[in-house]
Amino acid sequence: MTDGIVQLVPLTIVASMFALFIFSGLRKRTRQSSEYGFNGSYTGRVGIGAGIASNWMSAGSFLGLAGVFYVKGYFGMAYVVGWTGGYVLLLVLMATQIRRFGKFTAPDFVGFRYESDTARTLAALISIIITIIYCVAQFRGIALLVSWLFGIAYLPAVIVGASLAVSFVVVSGMLGVVRNQKLQYFVLIITFILPLMLLTRKLGYFWILPQFGYGAAIGELQQQFGFNCSEPFANTSLFEWFALCFTLMFGTAGLPHVLSRFYVVPGMRDARWGVVWGLFFIALIYWSAPAYGVLTRLFEARNGMRLYAGGADAADMVVLTAASLGGLPTWAIGLLAAGGMSAAFSTAAGLLMTGSASFSYDIYPRLINPKATERDKSYAAKGFFLLLAAVVMVLTLQPWGMIAEIAALAFAVAGNTIFPAFLLGIWWPRANAAGAICGMLTGLVISFAPFIAGDSLPLVSQLFPLTSSAFIGAPLVMIVMIVTSLLTTPPSAAIRLFVSRDVHDCHEE
Amino acid sequence: MKETSPHNNLSFFRPRGKTMRGEVRVIKLILLGWLAAIVGFQLFAYFLEASYSIILLENLTFFNLPLQFWLTGQFLPLWFIILCVLFNIWMDRHAKQSTEGSLRFRIKPVSGEDE
Repeated sequence: MTDGIVQLVPLTIVASMFALFIFSGLRKRTRQSSEYGFNGSYTGRVGIGAGIASNWMSAGSFLGLAGVFYVKGYFGMAYVVGWTGGYVLLLVLMATQIRRFGKFTAPDFVGFRYESDTARTLAALISIIITIIYCVAQFRGIALLVSWLFGIAYLPAVIVGASLAVSFVVVSGMLGVVRNQKLQYFVLIITFILPLMLLTRKLGYFWILPQFGYGAAIGELQQQFGFNCSEPFANTSLFEWFALCFTLMFGTAGLPHVLSRFYVVPGMRDARWGVVWGLFFIALIYWSAPAYGVLTRLFEARNGMRLYAGGADAADMVVLTAASLGGLPTWAIGLLAAGGMSAAFSTAAGLLMTGSASFSYDIYPRLINPKATERDKSYAAKGFFLLLAAVVMVLTLQPWGMIAEIAALAFAVAGNTIFPAFLLGIWWPRANAAGAICGMLTGLVISFAPFIAGDSLPLVSQLFPLTSSAFIGAPLVMIVMIVTSLLTTPPSAAIRLFVSRDVHDCHEE
Repeated sequence: MKETSPHNNLSFFRPRGKTMRGEVRVIKLILLGWLAAIVGFQLFAYFLEASYSIILLENLTFFNLPLQFWLTGQFLPLWFIILCVLFNIWMDRHAKQSTEGSLRFRIKPVSGEDE
């Protein structure tokens, strides 16, 4: 995608969109920021839903998903189902109960429920690992867009993109910008759907609902070019599909920054209905994302280009490729770039801030400097923020897959560690600290087993694929947790009473 | 340490108390609907592909989209939304009942509202 040309029109659109976000954030000034950076004001359930959706929409959803459809066809559906179905798990198994614990972050919850500082520190470390991995996906998205916008190569683009992201956080922090999440979601959905409508209209498909219109492209690919988009399991096994799908669902229910959203909402009932709206807003994007992948295939086939010639970098940019091959005006491509940028920037900013807050709050005063003052903690947070950004940047230089695959690893880690700890913590009062610690450690080992032992033991990478290890991993971790808990002393009567009486509303019969 | 009654052996599979029993029953139903749809559609597509050749899959379209694309990509997210709505409706009603129940000794419930 790098032709050495600076894309002036798209660049202007991207810049003005960020100016709009900063300006609207300044104007509102409803400062409700918490220590963890989850701020914003809410008006009603639709607003909560838009907040959930804009918090969720990352480079993975905006750019990565279409890329997976482009490369793997139907297999990408595992991402769509995984990233939406997880909300059902979250809503029915965890949302209500987590609120009754009244703990704001994953480490807080684990520390309180399992009455152990070790478990708490472990949960904080895991949250930071998840943050780093998830952030690599965002930085990769930013770097690819920067590389296209400025016409520079990928490696310098990573550095430019990372500096832009860091300065965005610093500037908006200094100006006291409040994220206007409703506006942001609105911009995201327009920038994603409008170009798609223009594309399908240009192709003569049913453009009012491009989510269905792209079906004609699947047919044409099949009949004229022999590319079987619609053969679901031609290249992948049923196991791979389910493993990925369930990993993403477990991960969704265990991602720290998703879980924390339930606390910033005033009432439980509003929080629950907010999830429904959030899921609907998320689905609007996911209903449409496959179209970009399929359309790019079609354009390439029509132009006689070799499929998948550009490798992973090009695959992650198919959203933009579809628009440019389809002959859309430059401003429409600029809209897509702006949407992708905003999704990646806001997710990266939120994650980096959460990660550094988690360090300064959970790890620094407990492990490094027990006599830390508030001032020390604030310095620690700032320092760790820069360190985190630097680590993420270095990892982004040589990433281990496409955007969606990088994000999937973060989901696998969350599904293998935080998800079992929360699930058993909520639903089984007998689970204790030893069980939680063993379980989370096992989960970490399982998540990274393909990295460590994948080459020497092929079975490991078959059972626990890098992107999909939680399908078998999460149940395994739960078994470890149950066995360890039963072999060690039960947790204190107070916490068991709290779980059964206050969380599950279970009184003596 | 007092080993008092129901709190020690409560779990998802052994719910205690009226509130929790009802809640767990609904959660089980929702999760059943969730699992059945996810697994069912994939198995359906898998066996369709395995046994009836590709032609059937090509011709089975719903509103332009191949059937399994529609079922998995469009209908499943919609189904998840429906499940969440059903769960919320149940929980809302349930929450109303339980607050009424706990307030009963102080305030008389509004007549006409059922238990």
